[in-house]
Amino acid sequence: MTPATLIARKEAGELLFSLRGLAWLLALCAALSSFTLLLVGSTELSLLDNAQVVCDMAGLITVLASLLALIVGIDATAGERERGSLVPLLLIPTPRRMILLGKLGGILIAWIAMFLLSIPYLWAVGSTGQNLAEGVALVAILGTPVVLTFGFLGMALGSWMPSARACLMTGMIALAVSASPLVIGPSLRQSAIGRIFDAINPLSGTVNAYDAVIIDGKPIIAQWPGLVLALAWLAIVLASAVAAFDRLSR
Amino acid sequence: MDLLDVNNLAVRIADKPILTDVSLSVSAGEIVGLLGPNGAGKSTTIAAMLGLLPRQQGTVAVLGQDPARAPFTIYRNIGVLPEQNGLYDWMSGEDYLAFFAALHGLSPESAMIAARLGAVGLSPRRGQRIGTYSRGMRQRLGLARALIGAPRLLVLDEPTNGLDPRGRHEVHALLRDLAAQGTGILMCTHLLDDVERLCRRVVVIADGRTRAEGTIPDLVARSEGASRYRLRLAAPPPSLAAVRGVGRIRQEGETWMIELEPGAAAETVWPELFGRGWKIVEIRDEGRGLESFYLSLTGLPERKAA
Repeated sequence: MTPATLIARKEAGELLFSLRGLAWLLALCAALSSFTLLLVGSTELSLLDNAQVVCDMAGLITVLASLLALIVGIDATAGERERGSLVPLLLIPTPRRMILLGKLGGILIAWIAMFLLSIPYLWAVGSTGQNLAEGVALVAILGTPVVLTFGFLGMALGSWMPSARACLMTGMIALAVSASPLVIGPSLRQSAIGRIFDAINPLSGTVNAYDAVIIDGKPIIAQWPGLVLALAWLAIVLASAVAAFDRLSR
Repeated sequence: MDLLDVNNLAVRIADKPILTDVSLSVSAGEIVGLLGPNGAGKSTTIAAMLGLLPRQQGTVAVLGQDPARAPFTIYRNIGVLPEQNGLYDWMSGEDYLAFFAALHGLSPESAMIAARLGAVGLSPRRGQRIGTYSRGMRQRLGLARALIGAPRLLVLDEPTNGLDPRGRHEVHALLRDLAAQGTGILMCTHLLDDVERLCRRVVVIADGRTRAEGTIPDLVARSEGASRYRLRLAAPPPSLAAVRGVGRIRQEGETWMIELEPGAAAETVWPELFGRGWKIVEIRDEGRGLESFYLSLTGLPERKAA
């Protein structure tokens, strides 16, 4: 087994077997459970169109998974540094980039775990209609680069910044700014600034694509601009994480 | 050839000079103590000589190689116990060592994990989660990790931190054995007792530079430290500081370590001490030890107590 694989397995173990990782997954499930309960239990919300419900749930899964990936990324660098377990890893006879690759692999495994956990929730809200398969496919195809972007952003911040708390604050602000088009009103989104922001924001691009496919019935293949945007951000953030991890001192 | 050779090392962090001129060396089979007050730059020295911090000046040769140019050759042949010894609480001790052995390209058998756990006294708890370990056990596991790959050089930052007296004794015996087998050991610690028991040579760092280096007898002979005595009294004395000729005082459990003021003779101090009517159980001459030398060198302020 290569060092990168070993470290990826260790990172996955940190999420699945440590109290901290299990608490995060539990929090994710609690948030998804609450939202699902609202959608199927509330009299008014249960009248929503099935396509709308699946689209909302897919967006929520993407945002929550991005948040968790961000936390996992920060924990893999700044968190380990603060706990004193990073130095022994940096002193193994392996290139830094292999260590980084293992940690990036850990984020990918964390996303796969979160994706698998979210499928029952999508099923709970979408099984009565025709949109479940589309929802799952969209989260897998378009959600993956966005979630990984935030995970890698967490690693870049964790390598750059001195404390995990500062990283978390910065990352949360970045995520809140990215998610802001989803919460601000349509009139603001139609303004010139709103349109520019929408055009460069990977999260709103992905949610717009969910909307276009699930609600408007457009083909997934037509959403390639959103995927390209998300992949471009992923590449930028990955390059930043590589540069920051190379310069990581102790 | 020295296993570790550091010359005129200078390190700046965020444009602030942390180390200005540090030199030290460790030969095969030698245990060298690295001493210095808090903030002197000991941990920075270790980080810089391992290539974890860039240096602005000086040369570092670990096993004859520069860590900035050939880190993997070095990392394969050294063991490090950092100051902050973080572990993975969800793993068992055995799995933890197997994980690091695998990262070194070794199987658990070839890394002799069972033997390493036995050497640090963790065999009975090897299958338990690290989260259940005491502080001393965590320190022992960190030491066992440092021994993976049979390193030729060990760099240990506070190796006996958190260990009980028996644990300290066992770790001392282990380090002596390793040194006898030819392993060079650089031991950074605040426990002068550990240094006096284990180390042949000592390097003292203060204010980012090497202030003294030599064998313990040489350093103590060079020192202008005061004579030290250990007193055991039946009851705490009201004020030892009031006794003429008594300088620094430190209480250690039920005993008091006193240093005579420069120029004060024991013959003049004892009559006054006995004249106070305190019930003195024992007086032991501790001589001019490493502690006196260290305190005089690092310029700690004279403090009166008791």
